[in-house]
Amino acid sequence: MLKKAFVPMALVFMTVTFLMTTPVLAQQVRGVTDTEVIIGQTGPQTGPAALWGSVARGSGLFFKGLNDEGGIHGRKIKYILRDDGYQPPKTRAIATEFVEQIGIFGVVGCVGVGPGMAVRDYYTENKVVMVSFGSSGVTNWIKPFNRYIFATYPLYVDEARGLTQYLFEQMKLTKVAMFYQNDDYGKQGLEGVESYEKEKGLKLVASVSAEVTERDLSSHALKLKSSGAEAVIMWAMPTHAALLLTECAKIGFKPHWATSSTLSDGPLMMQITKGLWAGMINSFPIEPPDSNSPLMVKYRAWHQKYEPNERWGSYYYSGIAYAEPLAEGLRRAGRTLTPETFIKAMETLRDWRGIAGPFTFTSTDHQGAKYVYYAQVQPDGSMKKLTDWTRITK
Amino acid sequence: MLGQLIVSGLAVGACYSLLALAMVIIYKTSDVLNFAQGEMAMVSTFIAFTLMESYHVPFQWAVILTFLFAILLGAFFELVFLRQAKEPTVLGLIIITLGFEMILMGFAGWKWGPDQRSLEFPISNIQTYNFFGLVMSKINFWTIVISLVLMLILFLFFRYTKVGIAMRATQQNQLAARVMGIRTKWILSFTWAISSMVGAVAGMLIAALGVLDPTMMMDPLLKGFASAVLGGMTSLPGTAVGGAMLGIIENLFGGYVSLAFKSIVAFAVIVLMLCIRPSGLLAKHYVKKV
Repeated sequence: MLKKAFVPMALVFMTVTFLMTTPVLAQQVRGVTDTEVIIGQTGPQTGPAALWGSVARGSGLFFKGLNDEGGIHGRKIKYILRDDGYQPPKTRAIATEFVEQIGIFGVVGCVGVGPGMAVRDYYTENKVVMVSFGSSGVTNWIKPFNRYIFATYPLYVDEARGLTQYLFEQMKLTKVAMFYQNDDYGKQGLEGVESYEKEKGLKLVASVSAEVTERDLSSHALKLKSSGAEAVIMWAMPTHAALLLTECAKIGFKPHWATSSTLSDGPLMMQITKGLWAGMINSFPIEPPDSNSPLMVKYRAWHQKYEPNERWGSYYYSGIAYAEPLAEGLRRAGRTLTPETFIKAMETLRDWRGIAGPFTFTSTDHQGAKYVYYAQVQPDGSMKKLTDWTRITK
Repeated sequence: MLGQLIVSGLAVGACYSLLALAMVIIYKTSDVLNFAQGEMAMVSTFIAFTLMESYHVPFQWAVILTFLFAILLGAFFELVFLRQAKEPTVLGLIIITLGFEMILMGFAGWKWGPDQRSLEFPISNIQTYNFFGLVMSKINFWTIVISLVLMLILFLFFRYTKVGIAMRATQQNQLAARVMGIRTKWILSFTWAISSMVGAVAGMLIAALGVLDPTMMMDPLLKGFASAVLGGMTSLPGTAVGGAMLGIIENLFGGYVSLAFKSIVAFAVIVLMLCIRPSGLLAKHYVKKV
């Protein structure tokens, strides 16, 4: 009797169980559970580009603090950081692990144009949302338009253009030279400077480039000096900036200097240039390190509490600025979190402020960062704000 | 501009010479190209930095302690890594140096982090000497002097001292040298120690000229290698000539031809020299009898 009844009972039980669980499985979103959202980030923790690795650790600090405050809608952020050594093939392998093994909802930051380009399409195919992707201002993240990518770094083209405009309009400097790194970053800076010069009927008096690994910039300095430039705009990495300033000082070349937000770590630059950084005009997309804005005060307290051994440098806390809009998107998306609800929520941000300039995203424009401010480095290493937040992208 | 380009070329060439010198010392004794030379110098320089920055050791003592560290590092590498290689070939030993390079790079990244630092140095990198209207920073001038003096000391050492002659004998035929009573293993350790110390001198000067970070020796090492190939891999005076020539060629190329392609000049020099005169400008062509 029992044997006879067992088969139909088992069938009924299995059917009921299947029907109960199937809708849940169908609705399950990769990287989202009742208690967690999984977010990944790749970043160079070792190798030649390890300087930028602190960006990813800064994001880690932000998520730690956020989780201790209770997370978002009852979910904690499970943050997974992987070292890609700034090598695109490694980044690609990690992306596969993120999506196919761990199952992430989205990525944040992931510094580097090369590494980012290696995984952009893969993430898009797998509907991975990418916030502050590439942590850089190249146009690769917004051209062509990609609804999964939210760019939060001012475009280098516009930043360079704005800086040239500042030199021309505020300081009346017309003889401008450019020193740039020979890659996408440097070339897009050059493009911005040249576009403004062309608009005003001017021409750069010299444009000098250097390869990333070069360590002797003496002939570059001589070329800049012989151009008779009143001002030099620099789109380079910290080492090159220090070497060039030193070489120029040696040969007695003292132009006005201006540079991009990538060199906004004033204390570091003052130290490695032995004070030559004083007078530099910098554009900034994020609050200064000693800002008294309530958010900066709160993050500095988190830094002291969780990671006091990390240096509070601009690369480090920019990792916080990149993660902030992600958290806001998660908040606005509510408890029903899918890539679609997240994207729609992000597209409601209008002049939204964290510690960076105002962000705005719409359904047709995901270049959120359009503002910078200008400041000048003082002899004691502090910064004197020259302008308020200025819109540089139309 | 021509004169200034040449003077600046000479100055940067002196740094290349120092690294070339460190490479040549090892090559002369063991036929091995040491790809860890740059990273050994970098780690030694970080030791100097830590002594001065964290322990407030006066500069001269920091330099002496750094030299001591560099000597121990060189001897340690030979003793612990190279000597343990089973039936070593030159290629195998070169690969070990590559492995050691990666270990040191990883260690430096872990210990000191990737941030750029400034090495305190008593000679200014910005104040200059003026020679008939041509300027050279004080540290550049003293780098040239130091590289020439070191080259001369090592030249005399190899030529006229018993240990120096034993080092040359070890390179030419290790077995014969051993039969003649030379303690070849000791000689090899000594060679690596001396080379590491010369590298440390180069590292400290290069850091003082620019910035100190774990990647600081990547470019200078390549240029040092090109200088050694240009001057001759077995010639000590060749390192000075090679370094100076490479520095000047690079600067003239950057000044008058193209700055964008300046960084490939060193590669072109290596290729050209290996095609035209593989032994280099000042080394004798040396053929081993089979």
